[in-house]
Formats: sequence, structure tokens, C-alpha cells
Amino acid sequence: MIDRKTHRLFSVLAVLLGLIYLLPLLWIVLTSLKSNSEILQNPNALIFVPTFDTYAEVIGSGVGAVMTSLKIGVIVTLAVLVIGVPAAFALARRINPVWGRVIAAGLAVLLILQMVPQPMTVIPLYSVLAGWGLLGTLPGLILADIAMLLPFAIMLLRPFALAIPSALYEASELDGASTFQSFRMITVPMLSNGILTVTTVIFITVWGEFVFAINFLPEGTVLPIAGLLAQQNTTYAANWNSLMALAVLTALPLLILFFFAQKRLINGLSLGAVK
Amino acid sequence: MPSHQPMGRRARGKVPVAYLVPGFLVLAAFAAYPMFVLVRMSLSDVGPSNIVGDWPFVGLRNFADVLGTGEVWQSIWRTAFIAFFLLASNLIIGFMAASVLAIKGKLPTIVLGIMVFVWALPPLVSGSLWKFLLNDSGAINGILEAVGLPPAAWLSEPDLALWSVAAVIAWASLPFSILIIRGGLLAIPIDVLEAAEIDGASYWQSRFQIVLPLLRPTLWILGILTVLYAFKSFDFIYVLTRGGPGTVTSTLPVKSYNDAFSDFAMSTGATVAVVSMLFVVLLAIPYLRSLRKEVIE
Repeated sequence: MIDRKTHRLFSVLAVLLGLIYLLPLLWIVLTSLKSNSEILQNPNALIFVPTFDTYAEVIGSGVGAVMTSLKIGVIVTLAVLVIGVPAAFALARRINPVWGRVIAAGLAVLLILQMVPQPMTVIPLYSVLAGWGLLGTLPGLILADIAMLLPFAIMLLRPFALAIPSALYEASELDGASTFQSFRMITVPMLSNGILTVTTVIFITVWGEFVFAINFLPEGTVLPIAGLLAQQNTTYAANWNSLMALAVLTALPLLILFFFAQKRLINGLSLGAVK
Repeated sequence: MPSHQPMGRRARGKVPVAYLVPGFLVLAAFAAYPMFVLVRMSLSDVGPSNIVGDWPFVGLRNFADVLGTGEVWQSIWRTAFIAFFLLASNLIIGFMAASVLAIKGKLPTIVLGIMVFVWALPPLVSGSLWKFLLNDSGAINGILEAVGLPPAAWLSEPDLALWSVAAVIAWASLPFSILIIRGGLLAIPIDVLEAAEIDGASYWQSRFQIVLPLLRPTLWILGILTVLYAFKSFDFIYVLTRGGPGTVTSTLPVKSYNDAFSDFAMSTGATVAVVSMLFVVLLAIPYLRSLRKEVIE
């Protein structure tokens, strides 16, 4: 379909496109391996003696931050799944016209909540959390994260739940299974692809979340790594190597996660996003 | 249940209300209620001193104040500028790049992998990266100098800052649109394209006359998502410029955040947030319609 000349042109363009995304990534890694004096003298040098000094410097505050991020990431991801999977199941079951209307209303609400930009929820949440004594606490931050990501998770899971043939549910009902039994024996196993996609996306999003973290956590606590990076962004304005080392440290766990989840992520996102 | 259901086929299971309750409770308390508080805040006088306490009701005075100054209108225009910039890049460059990456072989898979990884990076990380690349002695100016062009103050020159910020956001969001368009491309049945080829259509003819019309629903949804993304474009601007220099990159979300958390004018921030929510809801209507069709089917 594509003649040889076009194919060659497209290959060249594909390589160029790849470089536009790859080179900046290599550049941060390279910068994070430069020494402070090297950065000040010649920030764009390609040839230099690599040093891990910056990492040694950053790792002190970095390890605590990574632990905080892990804690928040795991709790939020688990909670979103425990609440979101049953909701996606319920919103994918076409039982009768009345329930159909409940589904339509539920989806509309979820969609609107999902569209609310985060800097706009942070303003009222600040006052809501303060009123309930949750401002400046980890549970407050975690609840805010869960509420922010839940609509997105349900919308992403629902197409996977819709793909389960309703004949399966009917057959299990004829066998006398309760709704919970059908949910546990049919829905959860058949949703495994969707659940893995959502787990990856939610974890990645929580890992990079900083707006809630810098506003809702008390001063003096160990910020999650994204919060630390956001903070250093102002203080270390000229300390580019520290900033880049911290950026690499933030991105590294995601790179590992990405290696395992890449295919599923690419397929799962194109299914969930368009539907 | 309607009585016209065939006999013997009983009601298909109980209504699974209980499965929605936990989600409903969490969202009611931490997503819907805060929206109500946001509206109440925009109708009251709330500052740093009475954030917990009584909020005197002032009616629409905040809206009159906010909409009466030029500032918020400038923010609306900046948000619209970013939306148009992203529409052009996500739809036009996105379609071309998705076509390029639809060739066979290992190469497109590798390129797509790199791009999706970049897209999955927190905006904070890619934002910090571009802040470094675009600073006055950064790599971009280094390249320009190496080829004999004058350097530019990408993020601190008022005429340039909004373009630079928009370009960084476009770079970061392009992988997603390529992914979506590529999904649409792969769903086009191959025999449709083969039939066109037999009829003598060239590659580019079939691109524009067959592929593009078939992609219309995909591009339509992508367009809405892109405009919404412009309203969410907070993280990148926060990292790159914080809305500056001056206020030239202060889009609606940046303005509402800065009003509330830098100037501690909670009511003003809330009012700007409500104004931008009106735009978001307006955009949600066509999206909701397409969704409703799906449910009714």
C-alpha cells in the first residue's frame, strides 16, 4: 500500500520523532551525572567526567521521600480498586430500564467530576479538610487523592466490565449464584486486564501528584518525592544537577513499572479512552 | 419489571445498589461536597482569617469584581490560546505522526514505547526537564548558538513565554493523541483500503478521502479531551513559569490557584474556578450526549 520511497521517508520521520522524545530524557540523565562546578562552567558540555556526587547528596532526602510516595501510592491504588471495581461492575450491568437510568446519571456525574481541574478542587478541599480536622494529615491527603482518581478509574474499568457477556451472569444465576458470587467468580477474574491497567495508571498518577501534597501535608513532614521535586524547583533554581538527579529518581520507579506494563497500558488506554 | 418479558425468563438478578455505595459516599464527601463549598465560597467573603468559620454572604459581588477587571479575560484568552495550540498539534501533527507510525516493522513500536513513557512521566518531571532545557544557558540556546542563531529567553521574555509553555504542553500530550488516533487507524478494515487501491487511489488520496472521514468520531472525542486538557494545564505552567513573567502565562487554573494560595484571596480564586467550571461543563455536554447514546443502545 505504501510505496518504497514513502516507506523510507516515514522511517526517517519515525526516527526523528523518537529522537525528539529520547534526547531530552538522555540529557537529564547526563546532567545529573555532572558536578556542580562543571554545570556552572559549561552547562552544555557533552564530554565530562561523570560523578555520582549529586546522587549521594540527593539520596539523603530522597529515600524518605520515596518511602512516603510508596506508602501513599500503595494505599490510594488499593483503595481505588476496592471501591472502583464493584462500582464499575454495577454500572456495567443492564438489568432493567430503571437501572439503566441510574447508570446514565451515574456516568454523567463521574464524567463531570473527572473533568474538574485539580487546582480548582484544591481550593474548596483545603477548607473542607480543615473543617473536618483532616488538613495537615496523611489520611486527609489520601482521601483527597482517592476522590480525585476514583471517577477516572471507574470510567476506565467500565468498558472492560461491559465486554463480559451477560449470558455468563444469566447462567450463574440459573445455577443459584448470588450477586456477590457472580461478582467474585465472573467479574473480578475477567476484569484482570482492566484492573492491571488501572493499577498502573493510578499508581503513576499518584506518584507524580504534588498539588495536594504541598498544600495538605503539614510543614516539616517528609514530602512524597513529587512534592520534594516541586519544592526544590523553587529553592534550587540554579542547582540544575540536583534538580535533574531528583527528577531521575522520581522517574526511575516508573521506568521499571513501565517495562512490565507497556503493552497492556498501550492497549488498555486506547480501549478505555475512546469508549 | 415490564410485563412483556417472556415467561420463564425471570428478572435478571437484583439491582446491585450496594456495589455503588462506597464509591458514592467517598465521592459525595470529597468530590461533590467540595464543589458545593466552592460555589458557596464564590458567593461569600472568605480570606485567610475565616477559612474555618463564618463566611459572610456577599451575593454576586465576587463575580462582578472578577469579571469587571481585565485580568480574568486575559486568562480566558490565554487558556483559549493553549487550547487552539494543542488542537492544532494534537489533531494535525497527531494524525500525521500516527500515519507515520502505522508502517510495519519494529521501529514504530520502539518509537511509540519511548513516547508513551514520556507521556506517563509526571508533568512535574517533564516540566522540570524543559525548564532546564529552555533556560538562558540551557541546551536549546546551546544548539542555537552552535548553528549561529541568536539565543532567546524562552521562559522570561513576555512575548515568548506563552508560546514556549504551549509547545512544552503539546510535546507532552502528543503521545496520547497518537495512541488514540493509531487505535482508530488500526480499527479501519484493511479491505476498505485495498478496495480504494484497486480503484487507483494513491496513498495520500486514500488518506484524505477515506481514512480521515472514518476517523471523524475519534478525532471529535480527542478534540474535546484536548480542549479539556488545556483547562487542566496547571502542572506544567506551575513548574515552568508559575504564571509569569508578570501574568503572561497565567491561564484560568493558574490564576485561580495563585489567587487562592499566593494572595490568599480564597473567594477570588473560587470565583475564577467557578467561571472556568462553566466552560468545562459546556464542553462536557457533547461528550455526555455521545455517552448517553451508548447507554440507551
